[in-house]
Amino acid sequence: MSAFGVTLQGIEARKVEVEVEITGGLFSISVVGLPDASVREARERVRAALRSVGMSVRGRVAINLAPADLPKEGALLDLPMAVGIARAMGEIPPVGEAICMGELALDGRIRRVRGVVPAAILAKKAGLPLFVPEANAREVSLVSGVTAYAVSSLGSLFAHLRGERALNPVEGGYVGDAKIEVEPDLADIKGQAQAKRALEIAAAGGHNLILVGSPGSGKTMLAKSLRGLLPPLSDEEVMETLLVRSTVGLPPEESRTRPFRMVHHTATTVSICGGGATLKPGEVSLAHRGVLFLDELTEFRRDLLEALRQPLEDGNIVVSRASGSVTYPARVLLVAACNPCQCGYYGDPEIPCRCPSGALERYQRKLSGPIIDRIDLHVAVPRLTPEELVQFERDNSRTSASVREQVTKARDLQLDRWRAFGFTNNAEIPEKILKKHLGVKKESRNFLREAAGRLRLSGRGLSRVLRVARTIADLDGDERVEPCHLSEALAYREGANMPWTV
Amino acid sequence: MARHLDLGIAGENVAQKALEDRGYKVVDRNVRLRSGELDMVAFDGDELVVVEVRTRSVGKMAPPETTVGPSKLRKLVRTGRWYVLNKGWEGPWRIDVVAVTVEGDKNPEVEIFRDVTMGLIEQ
Repeated sequence: MSAFGVTLQGIEARKVEVEVEITGGLFSISVVGLPDASVREARERVRAALRSVGMSVRGRVAINLAPADLPKEGALLDLPMAVGIARAMGEIPPVGEAICMGELALDGRIRRVRGVVPAAILAKKAGLPLFVPEANAREVSLVSGVTAYAVSSLGSLFAHLRGERALNPVEGGYVGDAKIEVEPDLADIKGQAQAKRALEIAAAGGHNLILVGSPGSGKTMLAKSLRGLLPPLSDEEVMETLLVRSTVGLPPEESRTRPFRMVHHTATTVSICGGGATLKPGEVSLAHRGVLFLDELTEFRRDLLEALRQPLEDGNIVVSRASGSVTYPARVLLVAACNPCQCGYYGDPEIPCRCPSGALERYQRKLSGPIIDRIDLHVAVPRLTPEELVQFERDNSRTSASVREQVTKARDLQLDRWRAFGFTNNAEIPEKILKKHLGVKKESRNFLREAAGRLRLSGRGLSRVLRVARTIADLDGDERVEPCHLSEALAYREGANMPWTV
Repeated sequence: MARHLDLGIAGENVAQKALEDRGYKVVDRNVRLRSGELDMVAFDGDELVVVEVRTRSVGKMAPPETTVGPSKLRKLVRTGRWYVLNKGWEGPWRIDVVAVTVEGDKNPEVEIFRDVTMGLIEQ
């Protein structure tokens, strides 16, 4: 007789069989099968919770968590352990197999746990019913095709298993609003036409972007407005983001607005890339299918930025520790912002740069070539002119909603083109496939060759320029990449050459 | 007999009565084994109970139940294990503490503490 629980391995749930044997002797509960401290402590919670429903456990209780070589973590195994003991005591009938998860309170209530979505996917695959804490009901309702029950207490679960008071399965949930309302709206941002255009391109093709500007020029505001330009998440993408959120124990988002994760520069590599003893996902995975915003890029620790190189290229991140290795999704649009120099005014036409000689170079050297090379759009964000500053009227010609419409059209074009290859946007597409879908004319080639020489482009640099050009053409609805698209794409690349100016 | 021993026997009698009132069946008293002595052995339903009786006259600094410390508990577990082994008992068993407080000619106060090891002492 046994019950099933789960333990998490990355974003995957693994089934754990909870075997219980009760023999005579002085009361004790021993747990074997690589439990961590929180699983071993479950003994006290399980005993008290069982007592709260009138079951006093007697004798020696041996609990085995199989498979024996898989480390088990988390209080979510409390519930299957309690069910297993109750079955071994003959207090509940040996009903068919089911997966249960939940942390028990001493009074028998069931507390919310993390990892409900991976467990629901496992239950769906295994064709088993699933019992989850009531507080996790919304998450599980978003996974279709699984028979799940939300339980508030051990008492109500046992009543259901005994057939006294049946629980109703959780109904399929509403995946969230497609309406996107994000502050600030593009129309509320004064000036910065070039930066707004770059945001549009970044949103359309999923290209990484850096905003370089003097203090107070609106870099952070521009970056935040990007979220409102991105189309809502598709059903599949909602599931992908939900999976990561559930793994770290965050509740599901109410809307389909894409994730936007703003990371402070004091963050550690583990918090961004994932890791720790339990191999949790980091910010780069929480930003999956959305935006990862690194404000004050030059203030970040260098090794942290270098650690981002691989996920930016591959769209996933492999977190390896002594305790194992897991892969998390990390398909993000990276947006960075920084000043051109220490004092912040290098290149400003009016305010002179106050940096001592050598300081500029030292400042810009903090960013390594490989990182700069992975950023497609380099945009200068200059200080606003006095005329722009006193422009109090809203610029209604380009609102976030209207730009988002353009972006969505361009994204649909890309989706149609790349679906057969299993990609969704231009930024993800491998160069080999990209080349066949550019339609660059002969005369444009010369132009491109010249620019590649002038800008000292790397192979990756060139293919990134081509991707951006492809996106600009998509925004125009053009089948072919024309010279005008190429030259605009190259203009955004120009900024990659140091030193930057405003 | 010394006065404190009289008090002990009187306390055990009071304890036995209290346990029997609650449906326990006392099967043994003052069992001497190699590792120590058990005040009382009873059955509570189908569970064997090793009973430690603590008697105090009122006015002492500490209530009687607090005089059962960790080392006494370990000793009770050890002795209890000997007992069930000798008797060939294979079912569940536990240890209860009965605290008796005596005050002059008044009725003694009895309190029963069930399953004092709570699974915390390794077998």
